[in-house]
Amino acid sequence: MTADPSPQSETAALASPAVLQPPGLPSGLGAAASPPSATAPPRRSRLRLGIAGRLALVLALVGLCAAGLTGFYAYQASRNLQVVSARNELLTSTQVLARRITQTREEITRNLQVLVNHPATLTVLQRGDAADADRLASLFGGVMTANPSYLQLRLISASEHGLERVRMDRRGASPVRVLGDALQEKGHYAYVAETLQMPAGATYLSRITINHESGTAAGFDQPALQQAMPVIDAAGKAIGVVVVNVDLNSMFALLAADLPEAFALYLANGGGDILIHPDSSKTFGFDRGRRVLLQDEFAATAPVVNGRSEHVVFDVDGDAEPGGPPQAGLVAAFVALPLESPANENRLVLGLAQPLAQVLAQSQPLGQAITRIVLGLGLVSLLVAAALAQALTRPINAVSEAARRFAAGETPGDLPLRRNDEIGSLARRFQQMQVQITRQLADLTTKQQELEHLSHHDMLTGLPNRRLFQDRLAHALAQARRNGEAVCLLFIDLNNFKQVNDQHGHDAGDVVLQIIAQRLHAAMRQADTVARLGGDEFVVLLDTSAHPLHVALIAEKLLDEIRLPVPHGCKQLQVDASIGIARYPHDGETASDIMANADRAMYATKTAGEGGYRFFSVPLE
Amino acid sequence: MAKRGWSRRQICVAGAVLGAAVSPRVRAAGRQLRVLAWPGYAEPEVVAAFEQRSGARVEVSVVDSDTVLWQRLTHNHAQDFDVFAANTAELQRYIRQELVLPLDTNALPNRRRQLPRFRDAASLPGLVQGGRLYGVPYAYAEMGLIYDRVRVLDPPSSITALWDERYQGRVLAYNDGSHNFSLAAQALGLKTPFHLSEAQWPRAVDRLIALRRNVAGFYTQPEESVAMFKRRQAWLMFANYGSQQLQLVRQAGLDVGYVIPKEGALAWLDCWAVTRGARDPALAHAWIDHLLEPEPSRLLMTRQGLGCTVQASPVERPGDKLLWLEPVENEERRNALWARIVSGDRASRVLAP
Repeated sequence: MTADPSPQSETAALASPAVLQPPGLPSGLGAAASPPSATAPPRRSRLRLGIAGRLALVLALVGLCAAGLTGFYAYQASRNLQVVSARNELLTSTQVLARRITQTREEITRNLQVLVNHPATLTVLQRGDAADADRLASLFGGVMTANPSYLQLRLISASEHGLERVRMDRRGASPVRVLGDALQEKGHYAYVAETLQMPAGATYLSRITINHESGTAAGFDQPALQQAMPVIDAAGKAIGVVVVNVDLNSMFALLAADLPEAFALYLANGGGDILIHPDSSKTFGFDRGRRVLLQDEFAATAPVVNGRSEHVVFDVDGDAEPGGPPQAGLVAAFVALPLESPANENRLVLGLAQPLAQVLAQSQPLGQAITRIVLGLGLVSLLVAAALAQALTRPINAVSEAARRFAAGETPGDLPLRRNDEIGSLARRFQQMQVQITRQLADLTTKQQELEHLSHHDMLTGLPNRRLFQDRLAHALAQARRNGEAVCLLFIDLNNFKQVNDQHGHDAGDVVLQIIAQRLHAAMRQADTVARLGGDEFVVLLDTSAHPLHVALIAEKLLDEIRLPVPHGCKQLQVDASIGIARYPHDGETASDIMANADRAMYATKTAGEGGYRFFSVPLE
Repeated sequence: MAKRGWSRRQICVAGAVLGAAVSPRVRAAGRQLRVLAWPGYAEPEVVAAFEQRSGARVEVSVVDSDTVLWQRLTHNHAQDFDVFAANTAELQRYIRQELVLPLDTNALPNRRRQLPRFRDAASLPGLVQGGRLYGVPYAYAEMGLIYDRVRVLDPPSSITALWDERYQGRVLAYNDGSHNFSLAAQALGLKTPFHLSEAQWPRAVDRLIALRRNVAGFYTQPEESVAMFKRRQAWLMFANYGSQQLQLVRQAGLDVGYVIPKEGALAWLDCWAVTRGARDPALAHAWIDHLLEPEPSRLLMTRQGLGCTVQASPVERPGDKLLWLEPVENEERRNALWARIVSGDRASRVLAP
């Protein structure tokens, strides 16, 4: 019998010594009789995970997954929160900046109002008073000194094609007055022509553009804007304008001075033409004959540029445009800045952008912390899983080991009988089964022995029967032949037995046979064989080669025992016997020869009439 | 003329490049034509038709200014392109620098489709040198006058209308020295607007100062001109962008007319030329000939609003005179003086050294 290999290989695990499964689970009764497979080595041809390994793996994976997913979503959520908060901050910053621009413009307007309402302004325009012009020039100079982003401050008359009357230019840090022939006619510029159309106190804001007006000391070919206010005479007629040229870049540099360095500033006019951009090659494209538009750069700004939305906040993914220059990811906020300035389509669009990487850099330590936590949790779950798997499989292994030992015929070891769980139940069932098997095995052995006995013994007398006797005779002959010894066989036939049966009944006959059998058995040594061949025939095989005289004595002793009366009820029954003795090697080589010759000798005795004994061949001695 | 491209035309650029790139046929012959063109000159369907016909692959590069055109062609001694388009004024320096090849008129049978004034190359400035043809006219635009049909009851007939004091503060002009000196020369009745003699400069400067004093402003971009025309309630405008600009003003809802002044309207005329570096001059000739078929010209008119050489322009009237641009005597000087004029300097300062 071999144990079914499948459970063995199923459970054979190399991952952990604790789960190595002893082979050869017992299966049925044959186990005790044929244990060899129980000691065969476990099959290791294929690496397989045992229950413990698999369980540990599953538990560890579940643990890791749970920790990993939690970590991932926590990271994502915090990252999103950071982006959202960065977007909000950016929008706020942009709106603050927009308010500052408005404030700056209002401040310029207040300065213009002061200059427009100065008495000298009117007299210079109306009478060309030189002293008043000087006073006005020094006033202009003072204002420019106070406002470093003012490039130029001028009083321009409506007459003489917009001739400049008082003009202060910035040369380096200080304002310088421009005089005489250097004064220019500016009537064809919108900041003169359009301002003259405006009511008193109104402010004109020019299109923000590159200043190509030659003769300008500072700000030539630089981005600038003009803010202008009409000078109205007593009759309500616009007779001139006061114009301030503002350096766009220095104004914005001042406004954005406290913004973090990584912030990028964008400005576009109401048409979307980019005016300020970190990449200066994209600014004032219209000045070079090709418009570069904010809504082309950032499609998301279109609603703000078109006036459909007040502000927009968006993210730009890195290297968004295939084939375009690699672009870093950005978070950007753009707000509309409404203006009374048709030249700028009544709107400016202001934007701030922050590199996405910078926003996300703040979530990097968090990501690292989460990674550490996830790894730690993963390790813990691995250990817990391993321990749990061990705890679960150790008792199973104990039961398994017990089964192996039982199968191998050894004493089963300790079983986890006291456990209250399934494993305890399994152990108890196993023990019950073990006890039952042991008991049934014992019964079977007994029955087998009985059968064995029955097949070799006479039912009535309990003496060996003919079959057993022939075995023993053959055995004795073989041994004698090998050792050069002799064998002696006494063939006994009861005389007058038929009369006993006839006169006293078969019960009496049986009693006689039983008693005689007992006596014969008792008379002989243990090593000798006394057998009943059937009917009233008995035979005695002497264990050792005995001297014929000794044999004769035995025969006589047996005859005496037979002749003793046998009590049956109130009667005494008596029989006699004839004994034939045959010996090996004298009387035959084979068992049948010996038997036949002993039988002949017995007949010879019986024919003589009296009970007694006779050797088949008379001994020489 | 340094600038003339405008954004609407640039929309076609991507289309043209894309059309050339995704064309499905792979030419076994490996013939390839490298075209350097202006937006809208090599429309995708035109390129596809040529590729099908010739079996060659066409690579279209687009430029939008004369300066860039010159840079790209001179960069590698014209070895990077086979065929390109430049206006009559520009073409002459390419001929001078020997960057172009004379054309084989026999390989250009479609020239017979062209209107007589374009077929007669000798009448066009600089196309024929040493008896050999160097360029084939393809597209043009004239610079007429746009006027408000409601305010200006008597349509202007002369370029001098820009100086008409009746229109003071109602005139819009273009901010460019080269063209404006030509206009001044026309207004002065000079024989040619492209060559000012030394004695003529002060008069021209005076004219331009007078122009400055008469205008409401100077524009640069076509869209800007439309916005100014509306906001400043202008009556008359020098249309540097020609009929394209006319379309734009009309689209803005203004009732305007367009005239070619009797002195003649300045006009640029782009001509195809074959570079010295052409790998396959026969293929380049085939390309030029292909573009003289009716379809490319039709697209030029309908999509770009440009004039073509095979069909009369709808805005031109019989007898209208066009002055094809020629190299001016001194572009730098014109621009330097103009910068002073437009900044508001008076004559003495403008002409000061």
